Amino acid sequence: MKTPTLKSYLFRILPALIIIFSGLQAYAGQGGVVETIKKAIVPFNDEEQVDSVPPLPRDTVLVKTKYQGGIFWTETRKDKVERFKCSQCHNNKDVTIARAAEMAHGDISSVHGGKLRPLSCFTCHKKDERDFLVTEKGSKVDMDHSYRMCGQCHFRQQKDWVGGAHGKRVSFWAGKRVVKNCTSCHDPHSPLFEKRWPKTYSRPIVK
Amino acid sequence: MDSRQNNDCLKKKESNRRQGKQCGRREFLSGALKAAALGSAAMVSGCGTGLLGSSEESALKWQEYFKKNYRLMTQEEKDETVARLERLAKLRKGVDIQMSSKEPVEDVLFGYAFNLTRCEGFMECVAACVKENNLDRKSQTQYIRIFEMEPGEMTPESGDGKYFHKVPVENHFYMGVQCFHCESAPCIKACPTKATWREPDGIVVVDYDWCIGCRYCMAACPYYGRRFNWNEPQVPVKEMTKKQHYLGNRMRGKGQVEKCTFCVQRSRAGRLPACVEACPTGARVFGNLLDPKSEIRFVLKEKKVFRLKEELGTDPKFWYFID
Repeated sequence: MKTPTLKSYLFRILPALIIIFSGLQAYAGQGGVVETIKKAIVPFNDEEQVDSVPPLPRDTVLVKTKYQGGIFWTETRKDKVERFKCSQCHNNKDVTIARAAEMAHGDISSVHGGKLRPLSCFTCHKKDERDFLVTEKGSKVDMDHSYRMCGQCHFRQQKDWVGGAHGKRVSFWAGKRVVKNCTSCHDPHSPLFEKRWPKTYSRPIVK
Repeated sequence: MDSRQNNDCLKKKESNRRQGKQCGRREFLSGALKAAALGSAAMVSGCGTGLLGSSEESALKWQEYFKKNYRLMTQEEKDETVARLERLAKLRKGVDIQMSSKEPVEDVLFGYAFNLTRCEGFMECVAACVKENNLDRKSQTQYIRIFEMEPGEMTPESGDGKYFHKVPVENHFYMGVQCFHCESAPCIKACPTKATWREPDGIVVVDYDWCIGCRYCMAACPYYGRRFNWNEPQVPVKEMTKKQHYLGNRMRGKGQVEKCTFCVQRSRAGRLPACVEACPTGARVFGNLLDPKSEIRFVLKEKKVFRLKEELGTDPKFWYFID
């Protein structure tokens, strides 16, 4: 018997190839929204396409990290801290008023870092320059950039925050990306949310 | 859409001309009834404002009866009906509302993600939604439901949707459910009057005035995403959201189906939906799926995501994810 030549062999499998290929085409067409998303790779121009893009709020600060779309902003912290600047009292002299710590900071109870190794004030606050925070490595951090402090331990949350899976944007999905600061939602001294009653309740389903 | 509509219009005009008619059936009826309405209104106003209310109100009401489906309206017709509805709200309830008929933004497809690890069941979203969307206070309509779930459960059917105690409870997680704005939505296919459709930016909307209240869509929806108005929705004037959209939070009537619209009045203006803005834990992510730099795209790329009842092929644009 004559062995089939390469040409006739290709000719024989051609219908099979066509069927497989058209099947694949049909399958790709069924991808739905996931397929649509994969195809969309052109960045959306917020300023041009959305006609009511908000201006950048004033109490924001440029974050020193980049996210997948470039630069983004976060809410400031210093203007929301009562009695900032700290150096008004904590300058190079000792505070001499009796019970000053209790009066000024009595409301703060540090519930941060677990029971075995709770954080002390000076884990985060810089002892000799009270207007600033300090990392474990000893570099000075501005209070507006507190995400750099939190990210030392909570690096997974920081990565999610930079990308957009942790925390939230402020009011607008369009326009310049402004996100909440770590301390907008978490009290840095006791960051866990407290148990409370829900705001409302659901009625049983009536169909 | 527009070219087809124009084509239909031209065809109609042509057939009218051939039949020697002055105008079409709909135009004739609407014209005749408007005249009748004005006549009766004049009669009523002759003996003071009677049962029909003011003459202006009844005239506007008649004109409202003869408007088209939203998708067939030209921009002028949309503006007219919006103006009528604003005026009617003023006449009926004395509220100054600002209604819009803003078109979808191009190159936008809205998507939503829900973080199951972060939600703690505070239900701020539910309250914000009720407030923003002018939901009926009498029957306590809510678009969002939050279920308290045992670890390992995957569908809210086995969860507790009626919890009322301090939250979060240890060893439980919370799952929010609302309309998922499916790409291939069963509710759209079920509607016999084409009163519900998918907008180009992916939002599934309802033309409330075109809804006949048959509730086929509610039966078709596998997620219980739609709500029916068994009574005239009642919202105190003080609490009413004045910024409204024709397809969104304008006042519905008795016997009409409504649903979550991703707060179309907000999202098309670049704002976040009320539930996202109200969430105290940041469990809700909203954004443009077609924008590779959006947060929702980050979630879809980097996180473990799933959709509810994905096997049904409804292709919802609402993902759940865990940290």
